[in-house]
Amino acid sequence: MATTAPIPLSMSSDRFRRRLASARCDLRADAVTTLQINVGRICNQACRHCHVEASPARTELMGDDVVEACFDVLARHPEIGTLDITAGAPELHPRFREMVERGRALGRTVIARHNLTVQFEPGQEGLPELFAAHGVELVSSLPHYLADATDRQRGHGVFDKSVAALRALNAVGYGQGGPLKLTLVANPVGAFLPPRQDDLERDMRDHLQRTYGITFDQLFVITNMPLGRFAQWLQRAGLYDEYLCKLENAFNPATLESVMCRSLVSVNYDGRLHDCDFNQMLDIELAPGASRTIFDFKADTLAGRPILIGDHCLGCTAGAGSSCGGNLTE
Amino acid sequence: MGAYFDDKDLAHFGDLKGHHPDLWSAFESYYGKAFEPGLLTKREKVLVGFAVAASSQCPYCIDSYTQQALEQGLTMKHLAEALHAAASLKAGITLAHGLVAHNIDKKVSM
Repeated sequence: MATTAPIPLSMSSDRFRRRLASARCDLRADAVTTLQINVGRICNQACRHCHVEASPARTELMGDDVVEACFDVLARHPEIGTLDITAGAPELHPRFREMVERGRALGRTVIARHNLTVQFEPGQEGLPELFAAHGVELVSSLPHYLADATDRQRGHGVFDKSVAALRALNAVGYGQGGPLKLTLVANPVGAFLPPRQDDLERDMRDHLQRTYGITFDQLFVITNMPLGRFAQWLQRAGLYDEYLCKLENAFNPATLESVMCRSLVSVNYDGRLHDCDFNQMLDIELAPGASRTIFDFKADTLAGRPILIGDHCLGCTAGAGSSCGGNLTE
Repeated sequence: MGAYFDDKDLAHFGDLKGHHPDLWSAFESYYGKAFEPGLLTKREKVLVGFAVAASSQCPYCIDSYTQQALEQGLTMKHLAEALHAAASLKAGITLAHGLVAHNIDKKVSM
């Protein structure tokens, strides 16, 4: 297991803390209802905005002991209704298919953060059929319905491959309004806020259907987090402070009720626990008093814990809000 | 003064209010209402703003309305279409003004 992860940029100012204070909000977690496991940093893509800084060159993978501990926790805690599998590209973990099967066998909703193009990697044949057979909910990134915009963020040729992958998912029943849910995720290709979710969903639905015959169930619109490669790009472009100001000016206290950190706990590939995947990338562990790792998981130490925050949290609270579940407010 | 146009000026647009607060407030109210979604969507109004900004050659407005357009889910490809629509209309306007010359010529020439 490699330990050469790039050092994340530190979040040095106090912008979010001040905003939280002005909203008179004490940000604490509710009971854990989602276990989000980041099974590794490897990905077949190296997107320019990736907060994980995932790529084909990364080698970190969740170890067998951590995988077993996750399923032990799920088995002991029926109140955790959702297993959310992310990475990198989670499908590249050698035990991914087993994780899907075990999650479903335990009766949990299983979400896979599926980047679409991984379907065409060697050894990944039959992924759409696997997802369909187990009723996995798919959440897939497609920044824009235009190839140029998507490829600028995710790499040359990614849009065309994504279209082919979406057609394969449609062919096995995904995105038809039935039980096989296909959610697309769009995020800005640059240092600006995303459009309204319903506006872009209408355009995305119309364009993908008319041009490619593709359907999907819903669109989430998310804000780019000033972390990882996106933060590095912001700094190189001289836009970091301007972008944080933009996020801060768009701070919306109504989002605080439903930010994802309230209901999930994020498991690192090495077993450590975090308030969210973003804190995981910053190596911000849970507040003192809460369980430290999946091996000593105790639900009563997690419910009510104070969420540890940084300026990156402005990304989840700007405008209509943003999370793994899209907009947080109407 | 280093330059007549500076992108940092845009944030200080409201400083002009101090010279005549009543008229400024009236402008702000009118401007705000005119850009609220109505029969036209917010995005359509932003595109109108962008085309007028480009056509009027206002760097501040081009900056502002380009960023607003991006935040409406539009890309440079959309904006290029708007630019060409505006530019072709400007070309047509230039040609249409040629009618004045055409008519004068007919009037005074043998």
